[in-house]
Amino acid sequence: MLLFKLAFRNIFRQRRRSLLTAMSLIGGYVLSVFSFSMSEGSYNNAITFFVQDHTGHIQIHKEDYLQRPKIHKSIPRPDELSAILDANERVASHTLRVFAPSIAYSDTDNTPAQVIGVDLARERATSTLAAKISAGAYIGPELDGEGYYSAMIGAGIANNLNIGLGDELILISQGADGSIANDIYRVGAIVGDRSSADRSTVYLPLVASQEFLSLPDAVHEVSILLKDDGLAREEAARLQELLPEFTVDPWQVVEATFYQSMQTDKQGNVVFLGIIIFIVFVGVLNTVLMSVLERTREFGVLKAIGSRPAKLALMITVETIMLTSISVLIGVMLSAPLILWFSLAGFALPEPMDVGGVLMSHLTGELSLYVFAVPMFLILGFAILISIPAGIRAALNSPKEAMRSH
Amino acid sequence: MKSTSIQSIPTLAQLLFVLLSTALLSSLASAQESAVDIIDAMEELYRGESSLARMTMIVETPQFQRTMEMESSSIGTEKAFIRILAPRKDRGIATLKLDLEMWNYLPKINKVIKVPPSMMMGSWMGSDFTNDDLVKQTTLTDDYDLTLEETDTEYRITLVPKSNTVTVWGKIDYNVNKELMIPLSQNFYDDSDRLIRKMEFSEPREISGLLIPSRMEMIPINKEGHKTVIIYDELQFDPPEIDESIFTMRNLRSRF
Amino acid sequence: MQTASLAFRNLFRNTRRTVLTVMLIGFSLTALIVFDGIMRGMITLMVENITGTLTGEAQIHRVDYRENLDVDLYLDNAAQIESQLQQDASLQAFAPRVISGAMISSSYNVSAGLVYGVDAQLEKSISKISEAVVEGAYLSGEESELLIGISMAELLEVGLGDRIVLTLSEVDNGELAQALFRVSGIVEFGLRELDENFAFTNIAAARRTLGMTDQQTHEYALRFVTPLSLTDSSSDLLNELNNGEIEALNWLELNPEISLILEISRYSSLMIGAVLFLLASLGVINSMFMSIYERIYEFGVIKAIGTRPGDISKLILFEALFIALISCGMGILLGAAIGAYTSTSGIAFGEMEFSGISLNNAIFSEFHIIQFTQFPIYVVLLTVIAAIYPARFAAKIIPSDALHKSL
Repeated sequence: MLLFKLAFRNIFRQRRRSLLTAMSLIGGYVLSVFSFSMSEGSYNNAITFFVQDHTGHIQIHKEDYLQRPKIHKSIPRPDELSAILDANERVASHTLRVFAPSIAYSDTDNTPAQVIGVDLARERATSTLAAKISAGAYIGPELDGEGYYSAMIGAGIANNLNIGLGDELILISQGADGSIANDIYRVGAIVGDRSSADRSTVYLPLVASQEFLSLPDAVHEVSILLKDDGLAREEAARLQELLPEFTVDPWQVVEATFYQSMQTDKQGNVVFLGIIIFIVFVGVLNTVLMSVLERTREFGVLKAIGSRPAKLALMITVETIMLTSISVLIGVMLSAPLILWFSLAGFALPEPMDVGGVLMSHLTGELSLYVFAVPMFLILGFAILISIPAGIRAALNSPKEAMRSH
Repeated sequence: MKSTSIQSIPTLAQLLFVLLSTALLSSLASAQESAVDIIDAMEELYRGESSLARMTMIVETPQFQRTMEMESSSIGTEKAFIRILAPRKDRGIATLKLDLEMWNYLPKINKVIKVPPSMMMGSWMGSDFTNDDLVKQTTLTDDYDLTLEETDTEYRITLVPKSNTVTVWGKIDYNVNKELMIPLSQNFYDDSDRLIRKMEFSEPREISGLLIPSRMEMIPINKEGHKTVIIYDELQFDPPEIDESIFTMRNLRSRF
Repeated sequence: MQTASLAFRNLFRNTRRTVLTVMLIGFSLTALIVFDGIMRGMITLMVENITGTLTGEAQIHRVDYRENLDVDLYLDNAAQIESQLQQDASLQAFAPRVISGAMISSSYNVSAGLVYGVDAQLEKSISKISEAVVEGAYLSGEESELLIGISMAELLEVGLGDRIVLTLSEVDNGELAQALFRVSGIVEFGLRELDENFAFTNIAAARRTLGMTDQQTHEYALRFVTPLSLTDSSSDLLNELNNGEIEALNWLELNPEISLILEISRYSSLMIGAVLFLLASLGVINSMFMSIYERIYEFGVIKAIGTRPGDISKLILFEALFIALISCGMGILLGAAIGAYTSTSGIAFGEMEFSGISLNNAIFSEFHIIQFTQFPIYVVLLTVIAAIYPARFAAKIIPSDALHKSL
C-alpha cells in the first residue's frame, strides 16, 4: 500500500515531467484510436446501407437461385415460411419477392426491364423502396377501376418508353409454364432517377407478378432484416437447419464481392495500423524510458539511503502503470466524442464510391469497444514492457554511479 | 440469361413435306435415286404447296408439363400462321412468319409484337423449338452436302453443312424406313459427332390418303427431362381454305 | 556558429536520449516514405488495370453513345478521324472498335453477350486482349475467328474449333443478322465481367455482320506517348476532337469514381502524415524538455552570468535542428532500404474490387523524389517548430529559481 501511495505522490511531485509523459501517452492513444476507427470503419455504414436498401441481413432462395437464377427455382407456399419468420423474435421484418427479366413496351417503343414483384406492405418495412419514389405514390396491391394492377417504374424505363404517371405499361416475359407472359399495368409511381441502380426495374404487387408469370403461390426470394446487425451469420445458420429444403444465406454471401473487397481492404489496413502501432511503440518507448532513466540520480539517492532494489524496480513499474492508466483514461474521454462524430457523420465523399457493387457515400469510422480497447491494451502493454527492464536497470545501478550521472 | 438449346431444323411443315414427298416419290421412282435427286425433287414438290393442320403439342420439362392445341396454316416454307386454341389462358395467341420475320399476337393485351433478334434464340411457346427454328430457312441441297447410305431396312441421308452455312449443327442425319418410306428419326450432332438432339417419328396413320407418322418427339439429349411432342390430329394438303390473306397482319390481329 | 557547434556537442551529452528521439523522428519519416511508396504503387496498379486492360487512356465516341451503347450511334468518318490521330504527335497508338450486344449460341446453349470487333494489330498496342489468351491463339485477321471469355466458354460448353452463331440486329434497319464463327481462342482476364460476357472478333467480320461500312466505327481507344498526369489530365488532342457530335474523353472522365478513389488515397496519405507528425512532435517536445530540465542548473548559471535569453532559445532550436537532420538521414536510409525491397518483391494483397476494377496483382511500391525532399523538409520544420515551446521555456528561466532546483 505504501508503494501505491508513494508512486502516486511521485507522479504529482514531478508535475511537468509527468504531464509531458502523459501528454505523449494521451496523444499516442487518441491517434491510435482514430487510426483504428478509420481502418475498421467506413464499411459499417456501407453495410447498413445496402442491408436496409434491398439486401437485408439474410436471404432465402431455392437451391442455387442466387448464383443461377431460373424462374422455376421458386419457394412454394411462402405463407408457411412467413409464419415461421413472423414468429421469430430475432427477425425485425421480412419481405417476399418474385423476379422476371422482361421487355417493357409502350405503343411505339420497347426496352428491357427487370420485373420485381414485391409484397408491398412487407417491402415497405424491410427495404427503402418507399423512400426512392420520385413521382407519384407508393402503390397498393388492388386493381384499379379499370381492372389494371399498378406498377412503379424506374426512371430509365419512363424515359426510354416516354411514359409517365397514369400511362399504360405493357410487360412481356416467359411464364413459369413456358407460356408467353403478357399483361398491361398502370404506372402509379416513378422510382429514382436515370442514374439509379434500379432505373430499368418495374415493381409490381406480388400477386400481380405471380399471375403474370403463372407462378401461383410461390416466390423467388425472401429477404430478412434482423434486429441485431451482427447476428446475420449465426441466424442464417440457424434458419438453414430449420429449413433444409431451401438455401439460407447471410449478406456476406449475398454480397460476396463487396465482402471480399472489404476483407482485403481491411487486410491492407493491417499494414497501415502496423505502422501506426510501431510509431506509437517508439513514442512510448521514448517517453517511458526517458522518464525513468532521467531519474537515475534520484534513484541513486534512494538506494543510498536504503531502499531495496526490488522495491525500487517495483515502484517504478507501478508508477508507470498508474501514469499510463490515467493517461489512457483521459485519452478515452477525449477521443470518445471525436469517434462518435466520426462514426455517425464522418467525411462526406464528393461522389458515392462503388465498392464491389455497393455504393458508399461517406467515409466513416467505427465506434466499438475494439477501437478503444485495443490501443488501450497496446499502450499499457508497451509501457509495462518497457518499464520493467528500465526499472530493473535503474534499481541495479550502484548508488555512487547513479548519483554521479550527468 | 436464359439457356435454351438451339436447333435449326426445317420448319414443321417443311418437315412434313419431306416425309410426304418421299412417300409419294417412292411409288414413282426406283430406290437407286441419289440423295440429291430425292431431296431436289421434294423441294420441287413443296414449292407452292400449302397445308392446314390441327395439332397437339405437349411440352415436358422437369418442372412442368403443358399441353397445347393449335391450328396451323402454311404456304411453302416462307409463310406460316399458327394459332393456339387451348389452354384457355393462351387461346388466341398467334404467330405469323413471313420469310425471316416473325410476329406474335397477344390477345390479352391486344398487341402485335415483332420478335426481335434478341428473342430469336429463345424458345417458342416454351417448347424445345426456338423462334429461330420456325423462321430459319435452310435450303437443304444448297446449304448442306448430302450423302446417302442404305441398309436392308433403312435409308440414311447424312447432311453436313457447307463451310459458310450459318448453323450450330455439325451434322444432321435422317433415317427413313425403306419399306414404308416413312421417317424414323432425325438426329442432330455437334462438330465432334456427339448427338445433341433427336427427333423421333412414330404412330404412322393414314391421313388424307397418305401414310404419315402422326407423332413426333423432339428430345434434347443434353437437357435431362426435356421433351416436346407434336401429334397431328388433322392434316390437309392444298386445302381450298388457304389463301394469301391468312398470312397478313390484319389476320394476325383479327378477333378470334 | 559557436552556438551551432555547442548545440551539436550538447546532443552527445546524453546520447541515449538523443538516440531515442532520433529513432522516434526517424522511424516516423521512414513510415511515411514507405506508406507513400505503397500508395503510389497501388494507384499505378489501378491505373494500369483500368487503362491497360481494355479501356485505353482515352476514348472517342459519338455523343450519347455511352448511355445505352446504341449501335446506331456510330462515327461515320473513319478516314478523317484516323488521319487526324495518325498525325498527332502526342498519341502513341489508337485502335478502332465496333461493338454490339448479341446472342451467342453454341450447339448446346445460348448466352447474351457483348461482341467487340477489333483490329488485331492495332489493338495490341492498346489493350491486353492478346495477353489474355489462355487457349488457342489471338486474332490474326481471318474472317471466322472468335475469342470468347473463359466463363462464357464454360456456359456455352465449347472448346477450340467449335461453332458459334452470333445473332444480332443490323445497324440502322434493325434487321436480324446471323453469322457463323469458330472459337479460335479463349481469353481469361481475371475480371468477372469480361470473362462472362465478352467476345472478340476481327473488325471486318463485325462490320460485315452488322451491315456497317469500313468508314463506320463505334469507338476509338487511345494511348498517349506520356501517360496523362493524374493532376492535370487535359490534352490538346482531346480538346480538338470534342465537338457537338463527337466526344473524346480521358479515362478519368470516363470513370469518375476512380478520381474519387484517388482523392481518398491522397487524404489517407495526408492523414497518416498528420498522425505520424503529431506523435513525433509530442516526442520531440518531451525530449527537449527532459534535456532542458537536466541542464536547468546550468541554464540558471549562464543566464546569471549574462547570456541573453535569445541565445538560449537559439541553442535549443539548433539542437532540435541537428536532431532533425540526423533523424532525416536515418529515416531516409531506412526508407530507401525498405522501399527498395518492396519495389522489387512487391506486396500481395489478395483480391479487391472497386468500381468494377479488380486488384489482384501484387503492389510494387514506388520511389518518388518528394519522399526524399519534401518529407524530410517537413520533418525538419516540424521538429524545429515543436522545439519552440521548450526553447522559450528555457529562455525564460529565472536564474534564482533554476539555481535552487535540484531535480
